[in-house]
Amino acid sequence: MARRVVVTGMGIVSSLGLNLESNWNRLVAGQSGVKPITLFDASMNQTRIAAELPAEFEEHYRKYIKKRAASQMTRVTKMCIVAAKDAVKHAGIDFELYDKTRCSVIIGVVNTGNSSVEKNTTPQNTVFKSMTNAMSAWISLEYQLLGPNFAINTACASSANAMAFGYDMIHNNQADIIIAGGADSIINKEEIQGFNALYALSINNDPPEKASKPFSVDRDGFIIGEGAGVIILESEESANRRGATIYAELAGYGISSEGYNIMAPMKDGKGMAYTIEKALKSTGISKEEVDYINAHGTSTELNDRYETLAIKQVFGEQAYNIPISSSKSMLGHTIGAAGTIEGIVTILSIYHDIVTPTINLDHPDPDLDLDYIPNTSRSKKVQVALSNSFGFGGHNATLVFRKY
Amino acid sequence: MALVTERIKTEVKEIVYDFFADECEVNKSEISDQTNIINDLDGDSLMFLELIEIFKKKYALEIELKTIGKYAIKNPVETIGQLIDMQILIIEHENRILELV
Repeated sequence: MARRVVVTGMGIVSSLGLNLESNWNRLVAGQSGVKPITLFDASMNQTRIAAELPAEFEEHYRKYIKKRAASQMTRVTKMCIVAAKDAVKHAGIDFELYDKTRCSVIIGVVNTGNSSVEKNTTPQNTVFKSMTNAMSAWISLEYQLLGPNFAINTACASSANAMAFGYDMIHNNQADIIIAGGADSIINKEEIQGFNALYALSINNDPPEKASKPFSVDRDGFIIGEGAGVIILESEESANRRGATIYAELAGYGISSEGYNIMAPMKDGKGMAYTIEKALKSTGISKEEVDYINAHGTSTELNDRYETLAIKQVFGEQAYNIPISSSKSMLGHTIGAAGTIEGIVTILSIYHDIVTPTINLDHPDPDLDLDYIPNTSRSKKVQVALSNSFGFGGHNATLVFRKY
Repeated sequence: MALVTERIKTEVKEIVYDFFADECEVNKSEISDQTNIINDLDGDSLMFLELIEIFKKKYALEIELKTIGKYAIKNPVETIGQLIDMQILIIEHENRILELV
């Protein structure tokens, strides 16, 4: 029997704060988390800015993770654990009351962050710090869960895919609760140089908070962000049985592969459009019912152009009536974490009936003429919303959330 | 075979207690020779290896980890006291510890 899947808890750490509330408040206020890089000496890099976590994180995580375990984790893994524990607490779940064989963990991981900026790596902990399954494993250990725990890597769509697979496991009655999410940081010299070499990053270093400007005519690439987002997916039956607050329903999803290019999206956004269509079809929701789209919106020339074209292909004239925004204008691109972090923004938009803005949209690209919610958030009744994630390698994911 | 004096035995005990108190974030006074490393301290097997490295350096021991592994399979360690006893045997017998099995 197919079951409905609902969201009962969320946790975020990002450049905008170390908890859900501060993140949401600052997103609604349209604030940027982008600043000069402090994690390493970036003075010789073309891009010298990023959306780093607040420095307080180094103390904050100690409230969540014991010293012994922390010594075996990277900073990124710690981010994930903090977000996961916050999400479980937010959901009010006591796993001791559940059949733990039906509780799983799925985390989108591009890399664990065991890079040149990682501190205190030793021969004794290097394996644990490098294992891409470490985050899901540590979360599973924390709650002694017995359902499958695993990592998914589909680049920037990783944690969107994690939620999609979590949806399937509950929908198909293989699990009751899924801890799904992602965490990432590629703020290190080598990867910034690598993305600079691909002309993917903005080099508008000054002022930092103005650099990420999706859908603007003067956009010049994305800004790297770091952070973690974790959500609790639960069967409707389980959530209702315990009287949980339901923040939204994950109504369905579309995932696809473009089979086109290792970096560039398929021309004119055809792959993106196919994915959005597929997502809507999975839910039976009509195009007219969509009230908001949280765009992938990277601030690169190609993504923003093709994503706009994709939305027009799918929705036709209706596209002009759908508010669209890019959280990356404020959070930067959190890579493996982006799918879940932006999924959470989408869920909260539904829950609060507020759509967050695309900041720095002062000079719109005349070719991109949809409603990108420029600079200021907006009160709007949101019944149905989409969250797009598109990754290098042609990994596409669109999640469909519905008010419960 | 090295002579393990009372001073060394005390030193080993101090090091082990300090190590677990620090790594497991517990007060040293809460640890006793009967404390179970996994159940009471939430410890892990890697701690055993790390302690061996500490003692190898401190006493310039010639012993291979695989030798200790073979010994430990037949003489499993669960408590702090058992761990201290094994460390003292390692210091005393080094690679010949297997002859005790």
